[in-house]
Amino acid sequence: MSGKITRRDAILKGTVLAGFAATGVHLIKKADGQIVWEIDGAKCINSKLGELTAEACDLCTVECVVTQSAVRAVNHHSECGRCYICPAYFKVTSAVDENGLPSEKLCPRDAIERKAIGWVDPEDPANNFYDYIIDEEKCDGCGKCVMECKEPAGLGSIRLEVRHNLCVGCNRCAISTVCPNDALSQLPATAVPEPEPAESESQT
Amino acid sequence: MSPRSSRRRTLRIIYAIFLLTLLWAPAAAPQAIPYERPVEAAPQDEDIGEGYVTPEVQRPLPRSYWLEILDVILLALAMAIAVWIVLSERSRKWVLALTIACLAYFGFYREGCVCPIGSIQNVAVALTDAEYSIPIVVIAMFFLPLLVAIFFGRAFCGGVCPLGAIQELVVLKPVRVPRRLDSALGLLKYVYLGLAIWFALQPAPGHDFVICRFDPFVGFFRQTGFAHMLYIGGAFLVLGMFVGRPYCRYLCPYGGLLAWCSRLAGRGVTITPDKELDCGLCSESCPYGAIEEMRAVRKDCLYCARCFDSCPRGRPLQEAPDE
Repeated sequence: MSGKITRRDAILKGTVLAGFAATGVHLIKKADGQIVWEIDGAKCINSKLGELTAEACDLCTVECVVTQSAVRAVNHHSECGRCYICPAYFKVTSAVDENGLPSEKLCPRDAIERKAIGWVDPEDPANNFYDYIIDEEKCDGCGKCVMECKEPAGLGSIRLEVRHNLCVGCNRCAISTVCPNDALSQLPATAVPEPEPAESESQT
Repeated sequence: MSPRSSRRRTLRIIYAIFLLTLLWAPAAAPQAIPYERPVEAAPQDEDIGEGYVTPEVQRPLPRSYWLEILDVILLALAMAIAVWIVLSERSRKWVLALTIACLAYFGFYREGCVCPIGSIQNVAVALTDAEYSIPIVVIAMFFLPLLVAIFFGRAFCGGVCPLGAIQELVVLKPVRVPRRLDSALGLLKYVYLGLAIWFALQPAPGHDFVICRFDPFVGFFRQTGFAHMLYIGGAFLVLGMFVGRPYCRYLCPYGGLLAWCSRLAGRGVTITPDKELDCGLCSESCPYGAIEEMRAVRKDCLYCARCFDSCPRGRPLQEAPDE
């Protein structure tokens, strides 16, 4: 037993190594380069069309192991209706102020900035276009704005997305284990669409 | 008339109707604005005008792929260094330095992920589910320590594993666990291994990665986590003061695989008592009960090199005649 290898051990060792090699090759054949957690916008309760509940699902905020959730709301500007009264920005049920706008904002963290863009007619605010820019630093992915920005009031341009630079990539994503619609999955990073085309993304 | 202004006109008309409706229904007005979407489609740059450019939607990229490859290279390198330090240099000091460095990098900097222990589950799922994507990095993380174990024993446990390292640092006054109890408890890790694979292979609702879920130390590495896991982790560390590396010896499922592989190792930590000196100080010094009758047991040896440190003969003895 003093470190000497018996014949039986040598055979066993060879068998185990061969087993490793076979398993390794089998795995490598189907392996991907890199995988990331992604939210399927068509499954996520907050962005799913036709899903209207009183409260937005905030499990992404609550469950994520990162202190300020790695899931954030993202406004896809090219799909944004640029509404005068954005239901994701204003709390449309709040009292109307002197300007005829709802007096309260929807975002509990005041993370959305609203500004008139393009050719602005100061006399006719209702006919101007507005940019709604979400401050990523403030957003914690509570999904309230996502829930509001969809048919019939909005166009569904705001969706919850995993910010890959913040996601620590847990093997067992804490959100994925509680997500009621099983919207999170690990996908090869190559399957993640490139920044530009927003149309193809909304289809998936 | 440009299409833009005609579009604006239509919008104005829609809005006029909208505002009229507001006047018509004053009862609804004070509490809720009867909201109507003013546009049917998303206006693009040309509709907005004035040279407006739609802000680009950022897609932050995950950690660079090359940095992930670097993790694997560092893992391999750290194991090679561990083998060299322990088998050739027999230096407790340096292996301790290595393990602290790995705790800092793989533990606190990389926040405990990716780790070979958890990779068991990914490999198990990848072997059974054709759809499942497994990255090359995870495959490498799974196999490298096992390969090293087959040839040199559990160098990963002593040199690299951050879960091991955090327990290594709290060993204070280890008691000797009675041999029988020790081996009985040691079986738990195989039970855990079996359960972990079983849960990982369950279909969707029951599917779970229990090793990751009940990782007792990842909460410390991330400095956040579920309270109950932090308590369990703390309890393991307190227990670890008196029972050397309890998680590694009795629960770590990957430790189970490594123990099994290291039985085949041709080389590893060896104690070479000679005729003049049979003091057993090495055996006393081993907090993991891995020295039995003056022989290091490959499957239990966690590569901490305490035995070499305690040897009164020190390094020269390593060349003792091999009968």
